[in-house]
Amino acid sequence: MLREFRMYAVLLRAAMRGQLQYRANIALVTIGGFAYQGVGLAFLWVIVSRFGALGGWSLTDIALLYGMRLTSHGVWAMPSAQVLLIDLAIREGEFDRYLVRPVNPLIQLLTRMFPIQTISDLLGGVIVLTAAASASDVRWAIGTVGFLIAGIIGGALVEFAIYLAVSSLSFRVVQARSPMLVAGTIMQTAGPYPQPIFPSAVRAVLTFVVPVAFIAYLPASALLRRSAEIPYADWLGYAAPAAGLLLALAAYRLWMRQLRHYAGPGN
Amino acid sequence: MQVRTAMSYRTDYLFSLIGLLVQVFLLTVVWRSVYHGRDTVSGIDLSAQLAYTTIGTVQYWLFSPWTFSIVPERVRTGRIAVDLVRPLPFLGQITAAQVGLTAGVAPFAVLALPIAILIGGAAAPGSVLAGFAYGLSFVLAYCLATLFGAVVGMVAFWTTEVSGFFMLYRMVGQFLAGALVPLWFMPGWLSALAYVFPFQAMNYTPLAIYLGRDHGGRIVVDLGVQVGWLALAAGLLLLVWSRALRRVISQGG
Repeated sequence: MLREFRMYAVLLRAAMRGQLQYRANIALVTIGGFAYQGVGLAFLWVIVSRFGALGGWSLTDIALLYGMRLTSHGVWAMPSAQVLLIDLAIREGEFDRYLVRPVNPLIQLLTRMFPIQTISDLLGGVIVLTAAASASDVRWAIGTVGFLIAGIIGGALVEFAIYLAVSSLSFRVVQARSPMLVAGTIMQTAGPYPQPIFPSAVRAVLTFVVPVAFIAYLPASALLRRSAEIPYADWLGYAAPAAGLLLALAAYRLWMRQLRHYAGPGN
Repeated sequence: MQVRTAMSYRTDYLFSLIGLLVQVFLLTVVWRSVYHGRDTVSGIDLSAQLAYTTIGTVQYWLFSPWTFSIVPERVRTGRIAVDLVRPLPFLGQITAAQVGLTAGVAPFAVLALPIAILIGGAAAPGSVLAGFAYGLSFVLAYCLATLFGAVVGMVAFWTTEVSGFFMLYRMVGQFLAGALVPLWFMPGWLSALAYVFPFQAMNYTPLAIYLGRDHGGRIVVDLGVQVGWLALAAGLLLLVWSRALRRVISQGG
């Protein structure tokens, strides 16, 4: 396990060196990324300033949720967004090479390139989160800060688990790109919103089928002392980080199991 | 030709439709939530706001194809050289390509509209006149989006790293076009800012006419503003193009 992490770090650093050559491009891509994330926040800001609240959440509450979601997304994406390109790696025969090398194929897939467009997600997330955290009336102490960090890592693990589980489809049916895009759209669109605005059936789906709620909404509710509005069990918010870990492990096992059925790109 | 290109990405467009419908659903959930217990806000009732969201999201999706300019790809691959010696003027070629792309995805928008209406909601145009004026304004808005897209696409003649810049244009444009929040809900300074930019004329204007928010003489002003922006965009395109052409020659050696 330790060796795996070390291999991962070495390979990721090599990939980063390759990509970080193009500084001007990184700056532009990052500004573009800020614009992408900023528009989502600007929408919420206009709504809340016009109508006072959304689902009972104030602007600072929503900003905290938005910042947690975006930071989690960045923590997920920076090291592992390459899972989205599993179809490409298989089609180009790259994946077959991973299998003959003495390193875990998942690690090789994740380090095939460093996704520079994810810098803006992590950076933007931390900026929004810092601003929201200082404006919010959460009392920041070791316990709450610790839970915030655990919640963010847990959220990143949930996103990792969802993508990894969906990507394992590509070992069986060759194309996982479109289902991954749909999963991504659902996480991206529904993730930063306070869930009480959704109809209860949709809430159930977002909690138990595509567990988007665990990414940021549930841990944010726990931090903001809003657990009472969670319809299933009010401890779910506190359990979110652990749920992230369990989901990630389960998805990894699924991925490895599906890998056994891999039969090459077909020529 | 671009119709065929668009059709060969059928599955991608079908999944992009799912994204569109998820967007309509989310936006209407947000509006339903904030309207809870209120009849009208800023003179707009919930059903008008839902219609704005539904029609606007589909319309905006149709007006903003993934590749709003074929120029970057042509410059990067060097196919621009062949394009320039073709008997059809280059600006005509890129316009035709863009229109072809839209024609290719239009059936998907037609497919999406009834489902989007089912999820969101619809309203009849404010009046018969509003309906006709909407049609006119819709065409002008499309021409505007396409021409400005062509101008921005010309950036590729100066730098090949265009993705970040395009994202910035697209996102700022989306917001100021009223694709997420109509201008009537924006704070005063923000809607004033939106009126300074051409984006509102690419999306918001036809919707405001359709719903009867802009009526009577205001419609004439709206259409006039759109035509004015169109003239400006055409002039800008010719100007940028004449500069860009010089760049190609200087690089060609």
